Amino acid sequence: MSPALARLLARLYPRPWRERYGAEFEALLLDGRGGLGTAANVVWSAVCERISPTQGGKMDRDPLSFGGVTRKPSAFLPLAMSLTALAVVLGHIAIYGAAREADEGAAAHIWQLLMAGQIPVVAFFAIRWLPRAPRAALGVLALQAGAVLVSMAPVLYFNL
Amino acid sequence: MGHYSDPPLLVLASLANGPKHGHAMIEDIELLCGTHLGPGTLYGAIARLEQLGWIEPLPPEERRRPYRITAEGLRVLRARLTTLHRFAGAGLERLELS
Repeated sequence: MSPALARLLARLYPRPWRERYGAEFEALLLDGRGGLGTAANVVWSAVCERISPTQGGKMDRDPLSFGGVTRKPSAFLPLAMSLTALAVVLGHIAIYGAAREADEGAAAHIWQLLMAGQIPVVAFFAIRWLPRAPRAALGVLALQAGAVLVSMAPVLYFNL
Repeated sequence: MGHYSDPPLLVLASLANGPKHGHAMIEDIELLCGTHLGPGTLYGAIARLEQLGWIEPLPPEERRRPYRITAEGLRVLRARLTTLHRFAGAGLERLELS
């Protein structure tokens, strides 16, 4: 295999993986048979590594990176709550239609609880992680805000 | 049915008789059971085995890095091969009875 192609294929892997295994992996690609089968095997393995990182050897993920911060419960819980709230609204619309009701039903109360309940979690996340990892925390906060907007969209659109 | 393919087990078995680098492992595994591991599959297995502490890296030789099996890796390999041996024995016994 040509050095340029070996380097290109190695670059498909995430950076932490490349920092740990990149040099020896490129050497292996240079030693071995080239061809479409090898390239397909490497592409597929690189995709798998990106989806489910090994974190083997000395590849401990930086806890202050976007991925590391997103794994904190205070980061993903509000996202899960917004998505659950969205599912509740969409389920209600699918079953009962989008007509506005005089009295708020159980779905509305669940939606309100999920939306209000995440406010202290988001506040905790911002206080804890904005000073430590500003870029990653801002990214997570943007995601959380986006999820809130998405879960509010059907409520506003149908004027529920 | 194709060749036996359990990349981590194949890597452990390949390292059982001494340290090897990636290319040597691929050739050894092909001799051992006829399975050709692609480089991506091999390094996926190496990374996971290293994470589990069943193999460990040795200092690189030029750009190639050899790996060796650890004591824990040997224990796991022996247990897995014993299970496979028992399974193969039971299967062959049933074939003889039928």
